[in-house]
Amino acid sequence: MGAHVSVPMYQRSVGQRYRLLGQRCRGCGRVNFPPAGACMYCGSRDGFDEAQLSGRGKIYTFTEIAPGGAPPEFARQAALTGSYIVAIVELAEGPRVVAQLVDCTFSDLQVGKEVMMVVRRIYVEEGVVRYGYKFRLA
Amino acid sequence: MGAGQTPYGDHPTLGIKEMFNAALGDAMQSVDRGVDPREIQAAYVGTLGSGGFQIGQPGALVAGYAGLPPIPVYHLENACASGGFALLAGVTAILSGLYDLVLVAGMEKMTDLSSAAAKYWLGVSGDTEFERLAGLTFAGLFALTAQRYMLDYGMPRETLSRVAVKNHRNGALNPKAHLRRAISLERALAGPPVAHPLNVFDCCPISDGAAVVLLASEERARSLTDAPVFLRGFGSGSDHLALHSRDSVTSLRASRKAAEDAYRMAGVGPGDVAFAEVHDCFTIAEIVAYEDLGFAQPGQGWRLIEEGATTAEGRLPVNLSGGLKAKGHPLGATGVGQAYEVFNQLRGEAQAPERQVRRGGLALTHNIGGIGGTAVVCIYEGGEGW
Ligand SMILES: [Zn+2]
Repeated sequence: MGAHVSVPMYQRSVGQRYRLLGQRCRGCGRVNFPPAGACMYCGSRDGFDEAQLSGRGKIYTFTEIAPGGAPPEFARQAALTGSYIVAIVELAEGPRVVAQLVDCTFSDLQVGKEVMMVVRRIYVEEGVVRYGYKFRLA
Repeated sequence: MGAGQTPYGDHPTLGIKEMFNAALGDAMQSVDRGVDPREIQAAYVGTLGSGGFQIGQPGALVAGYAGLPPIPVYHLENACASGGFALLAGVTAILSGLYDLVLVAGMEKMTDLSSAAAKYWLGVSGDTEFERLAGLTFAGLFALTAQRYMLDYGMPRETLSRVAVKNHRNGALNPKAHLRRAISLERALAGPPVAHPLNVFDCCPISDGAAVVLLASEERARSLTDAPVFLRGFGSGSDHLALHSRDSVTSLRASRKAAEDAYRMAGVGPGDVAFAEVHDCFTIAEIVAYEDLGFAQPGQGWRLIEEGATTAEGRLPVNLSGGLKAKGHPLGATGVGQAYEVFNQLRGEAQAPERQVRRGGLALTHNIGGIGGTAVVCIYEGGEGW
């Protein structure tokens, strides 16, 4: 049993997961990610234009998930690797995202270090491999 | 005017209807001049039906089992704050004037689940699409908060473990707590890692349990008891579900809003609070709560732990029950169980004399859903002579 995100539900967010596609507020011009019904900065509901994020950002906070702390759909990953790292990344355009950090060890990390988005395997559900964004040190 | 609770813990022979029935019996016994359950006019039930029991109408299930009349029953679900919101639903029903005697219950059956299923259910109260798919459960989310808090405010790792030591010490004295044993700081620091910097001793256990409170208008309450406990103020709030969508990861806006509204309604401030039950699902959550509730300035909450201000002997005892950490956290029951603890304390009826708070002052309860997607704060006052 794992987190349930059906294939159609996942498909609706493929633009975000593969390409970090955000939305620029027509009210204040700031970039929202992931998309929302109202701007998270100014509350405007006047609509948005598509905005491509650069994928560059900085570590805002991070943790290392031990096998005992991994949700079931990530238990295999945690068992194979011993643990994995999850961070909140502050993107260059402003929004924060939460994602795994790859190709690094915990002792390499510090708040403020620069990171870059990569597309990696997230997990498998309904027999379908799900890919999406993770980050590595820039 | 009445409150009851099952012991929290591992109850292999009890399901939710049996636990509800036991808590109801306990609550009815606490009503000094007795109450006929057939006089209850409505019931508000907080539960997640965790484990996918697929209980579409838990209120009808438990009310029918316990022999309540065919009253309206409401099911409220806001993750770990389900009980707190059930309480507020009951309170607002009384305040509306529609009813003068209602029942509020919270309950959860968690230990029937395999560990993987439990983590699934515990995790889906957060943001599934993005947070969860980064590989986080709530331990991971609170770990992100803890890590940033330590960096921003210079809190040492040991302070988190001191929260666990304090709450285990309180829980050891509470006959209805799940983990009734003290732990040493060395042990608390050496727990198996869960999500850095949090280890097993920074996390609340998985518990079964139910709690019931009976709410009445003042007139009705005085006809049933000479020692009513008064709800002086309450507030609640919400926030972006996903932690990364919020301005701050070290303070919960839902808690701040709930506390501001509760203090304003009661016409008091944090300095008037004599003791509190706060939502310590993880040790860092208790420290953040000190700040959101106004017990400490932003960034200074951890110093209350270092100073011992919130121990049983301190100037502001917090989680005399053991808190979620040691008393246990049967999700839907927690917000109602906090009211049960405060009810007993404010009547001088804590089960053991060594855990009874000294007289005078107000009590505060604080209950959050997940990592603060929702929050409830209540302020209580004891009756005459308190
Ligand atoms: Zn805007």
